[in-house]
Amino acid sequence: MARKLLLDKVNVPGIRTYEVYRREGGYRSVEKALKMAPADIVEEVKKSGLRGRGGAGFPTGMKWSFLAKPEGVARYLVCNADESEPGTFKDRYLMEFLPHLLIEGMIVSSFALGSNNSYIYIRGEYAWITDILETAIAEARQNGFLGKNILGSGFDCEMYVQRGAGAYICGEETALIESLEGKRGNPRIKPPFPAIKGLWDCPTVVNNVETLAAVVPILNEGGEEYAKIGVGKSTGTKLISACGNINKPGIFEIDMTISVEEFIFSDEYCGGIPNGKRLKACIPGGSSVPILPANLLLTTAKGEKRLMNYESLSDGGFATGSMMGSGGFIVLDEDQCVVRNTMTLARFYHHESCGQCSPCREGTGWMERILKKIENGKGEMKDIDLLWDIQRKIEGNTICPLGDAAAWPIAAAIRHFRDEFEWHVLNPEKCLTENFGLRHYADPIHVPA
Amino acid sequence: MNIQFSQEKLNNVSEIIKRYPQGKQKSALLPILHLAQDEFGGWLDTPVMDYVATLLQIEPIEVYEVASFYSMYNLKPVGKYLFEVCQTGPCMLNGSDQIIDYIQQKLNIGAGETTVDGLFTLKTVECLGACGYAPMMQLGKTYREHLTKEKVDAIVEECSNKTAINN
Repeated sequence: MARKLLLDKVNVPGIRTYEVYRREGGYRSVEKALKMAPADIVEEVKKSGLRGRGGAGFPTGMKWSFLAKPEGVARYLVCNADESEPGTFKDRYLMEFLPHLLIEGMIVSSFALGSNNSYIYIRGEYAWITDILETAIAEARQNGFLGKNILGSGFDCEMYVQRGAGAYICGEETALIESLEGKRGNPRIKPPFPAIKGLWDCPTVVNNVETLAAVVPILNEGGEEYAKIGVGKSTGTKLISACGNINKPGIFEIDMTISVEEFIFSDEYCGGIPNGKRLKACIPGGSSVPILPANLLLTTAKGEKRLMNYESLSDGGFATGSMMGSGGFIVLDEDQCVVRNTMTLARFYHHESCGQCSPCREGTGWMERILKKIENGKGEMKDIDLLWDIQRKIEGNTICPLGDAAAWPIAAAIRHFRDEFEWHVLNPEKCLTENFGLRHYADPIHVPA
Repeated sequence: MNIQFSQEKLNNVSEIIKRYPQGKQKSALLPILHLAQDEFGGWLDTPVMDYVATLLQIEPIEVYEVASFYSMYNLKPVGKYLFEVCQTGPCMLNGSDQIIDYIQQKLNIGAGETTVDGLFTLKTVECLGACGYAPMMQLGKTYREHLTKEKVDAIVEECSNKTAINN
């Protein structure tokens, strides 16, 4: 069984409380960090190879080293807890069951970055988790880990929770900052990057919940030890939230050496597909990443077993690969309709477009309407090409990555499942009651049951 | 309705404003709109938004543009119980379409509508981050997950009973 660095204590009764968390060794990393030079903490994080766990996978230590440090200007750490990528529900789990792990990681990170005030921006719907976090913050404050001069170190550290109000776009870091300033979540044009001009125009680091939690084991074990887990540039452990048509949906902490096949079919993880159905397709990293048909999901185009890590999941580029993304792993069985699934995602992106950039604002609506038309048996062959054309014109032409995120799932669905779209057009009646099934595969026998 | 927070709520407002540096009180807008919506009938009428603008010393337009951007702020009255049912991919794969149909049939309303007695509103929403526990809906501050027709029946009954007791 893989080693757990984040969830190893999640089943200890009462671990949500300060008392139990501390008894189990919690907050050691803060004691250690306060005796170190902040620059050395950044160095440890660099050595660990930790990559941002929100979806982009950018090296965290490098992001931290970009932070500007002008004299007399406040710096801010902001935790991105706006988890909204369809298929992703791991940060919710971390915050709900291990709130002190996030707080501990944030105190260490605040000290490393020289931020005296940090904010946890949490999606508005996670209202009950806001209460859990606020209780935990109060406990940490009572025990001297937050407030003025924490543990007598001379370092002041305050932490607040801010609830959003329902907007996927606020997971984009500059939109999040706008929202935290009490405005609409419209992403900013970059540069300047938040590291130079972020919250209230001050230097700011925005990190995902899981990223900040991972700072705790990195400090405790040392960056080099952390980097020994995993493979290549996929170091440490990763939380995967698995859902869709699997026997055991939920959160799994994996080291990034296991194969996709093992992850889906072994009892330790997803436990296979219910009712003896066959695997049709999978979106391995949250709804924005390309959907892959079963054969390309399990084996790369080079014929190697595909592994659950950044490099292997993206092997082959978008032609034959996908992405690790946020770790939102969505499995589709043989009874699912790729057109319908893609339509719901197009509807999602249309709903969530902030409206600043025309290609995204208009294009996402067009894509939703065309997909609805095809799904409802009213599509024409030229609609498929039109969809392809629209997504091409959105990608790369918007201020923020929401445009790309809306384009990629549609491009991949057409790339790998064009026959299913055509079948809808050719069978306008049948497609309302029947599904295309596994007809993509020349030999469905070899698609694992 | 008299639009004025209680002293307790006003204390909450000042606590929230203290989280931000001097002069950055506009940052308190989202949390205070949540407070206002909870306090003044589950939605944000224009006088309520104007009141929030006064509290934060900002222009009313700054409140309107924010309230209309975020999906959790209701700009029209909603029923006492708001069923927000997720319909995005992972929930759809697990039967959210059937759950939405069932609720519509049971309550005799379409998505976005409120029952005649003003008790229930059905709203279809996009991914709420509960994909592993699908299908699901948000009801007030909590999530109701692994929905089935039987569970929907139980939730409707639970809400109706609560209302009967309160009356």
